[in-house]
Amino acid sequence: MILAELVTRCRSVLCLAAGLAIVAFAMLLLAASASAQTKPPSAFGPPSQQQTAPPSFAGPKTMPPKTVQPTAAPLRAKGPFGSVLSWVAQTQQKMQRQLAGAVKSLKGGNALGAALFLAGLSFAYGVVHAVGPGHGKAIISSYVVANEETVRRGILISFLAAGLQALTAVALVGLLLVALNATGFQVNAWTNQLETVSYAMIALVGLYLLVTELVRLWRRWRGPQDAAHKHAHHHHDHDERDHHHYAAHHHAAHHHDDGEACNHMVDARDIAGPLSWRKVAAVVVSVGIRPCSGAILVLVFALTQGLFWAGVAATFAMAFGTAITVAVLATLALGSRELMLRLGGGNQRWAEAVWTTCAIGGALVVLMAGLLLFAASLGPARPF
Amino acid sequence: MALVISAVVGAAVFGYAPRADAHPHVWATVRSEIVFSPDHAITGIRHAWTFDEFYTAMAVQGLDADGDGVYSKEELDPLAKVNIDSLEEFDYFTFVRLAGDDSFLPLEPPVDYSVEYDGTVLTLHFTLPLKTPLDPRRKDVSIDVYDPSFFVAFGFAEKVPVKVAGTPPEGCAAAVDKPDPESAEAAKALTEAFFSQLGPNSSYGSQFAQTMHVKCSTQ
Repeated sequence: MILAELVTRCRSVLCLAAGLAIVAFAMLLLAASASAQTKPPSAFGPPSQQQTAPPSFAGPKTMPPKTVQPTAAPLRAKGPFGSVLSWVAQTQQKMQRQLAGAVKSLKGGNALGAALFLAGLSFAYGVVHAVGPGHGKAIISSYVVANEETVRRGILISFLAAGLQALTAVALVGLLLVALNATGFQVNAWTNQLETVSYAMIALVGLYLLVTELVRLWRRWRGPQDAAHKHAHHHHDHDERDHHHYAAHHHAAHHHDDGEACNHMVDARDIAGPLSWRKVAAVVVSVGIRPCSGAILVLVFALTQGLFWAGVAATFAMAFGTAITVAVLATLALGSRELMLRLGGGNQRWAEAVWTTCAIGGALVVLMAGLLLFAASLGPARPF
Repeated sequence: MALVISAVVGAAVFGYAPRADAHPHVWATVRSEIVFSPDHAITGIRHAWTFDEFYTAMAVQGLDADGDGVYSKEELDPLAKVNIDSLEEFDYFTFVRLAGDDSFLPLEPPVDYSVEYDGTVLTLHFTLPLKTPLDPRRKDVSIDVYDPSFFVAFGFAEKVPVKVAGTPPEGCAAAVDKPDPESAEAAKALTEAFFSQLGPNSSYGSQFAQTMHVKCSTQ
């Protein structure tokens, strides 16, 4: 709700980015303070278990394995960035263990406190998790940059995609494990299938963006009269509010009033015209149909603890976190396009070049990412 | 102009996309035994990999076929087989080299494998035979355990991460390497790691390689 208000009040890209950052920071603080108060049990059991002579971990052939959980040493990376990478990896591991602890502590006395802790932690995990590759950051950012999309729509797309990812995860685990009593392997297999479908769809969206942009360029080069005609024809189908507001505020180079005859740049907006909601849906579905693997892990773990609802809540808290990260990045991407546009002053050729670059570059990014990820997803099945 | 920028963006994506899994989803704690034959040669590596609770929950889900709450050997054996069979495609995440040598020594499919589940975490046990037994007295042997894609984060156990089994030669011992970011080798790894990240054969995870050495004193 706060976000919705921010979105309606803020008119500038920077204001929105700052707002989002503040919200994210506040939630992180909340999670951090919750983390300080509660001390979740170590996921690997008390370390005192190993203080005596080392247990035999010989293969099961020699003797029946005695249950001793090893304590993991902190993971360290090599190389000059080693300390940074180590920190990132160790933080992720710590968070995941705390998440496990938080789910378990729901069964204890202070259920409300534990639930709040779990929600905060899941949210923070979502924010951090989404910083790594995946989660459609590159796809959504490229899409909004390639199109005449507004910051508002960028944020909306980010939230819709993250929400759909969470829904897919809940539906998949709910259907397969709760309803059909399937195995974890089957969940993995389904996740992989959905990933492949998702990447193929992303590649198609990229191809579509690229073709639309190339067709537009070709039409424009064919003749100004023709283009002007096309423009007049399409103009009134625009999503006027979004489009117009954005244009009025930011396109110093191009004052654009209803009915004004113009035969440049407007064509760029045609690609975000009547079809835009269908395109938005395509982007949201292509990214969101792939369930977030972090969410699946939490859901399955919560299920084995007999707390499926907690897993569902954690999944949506996590999705909210990833959505904020993705939205911030999409907003930044839009901001940099804006900056590029302003650098040109009032030069229309410059503005036109920026638009074309963004449209082609963004489409290429989406297409390439989709193809590469699709190819990678066809690799051999992972053992773990 | 447009082309140049899109080329740059495209190149960035080329390096970026294959690393889709470059944050770990599975954590495994590694304990390894270097197995020696009676004639003092290294014949293989016996691994015990203990997984995190999340992966464990996923892996054992639905395996308690008779629903008695106990995961029997019969119920867990198929899991071990699936894990072991699919490990081959990933070189068992184990990379054995002679000191100063860049090529990895060939490994045979695992033997003596099983999984152990204590109600919280799962441990996979298996023995990985070397195709040709190795004499560590001639050259030091290094063994890396890592997932190049970093989907699985392997880390050594705090206590006794590596030990020897069987009859090692006099004066030979196995130990883990502590990464030293200041070393010259690390500086070389930087450039390699940095550029390998840009290529399609990215091995981001190699920076997290868990290295153990078998060294023999010469006197």
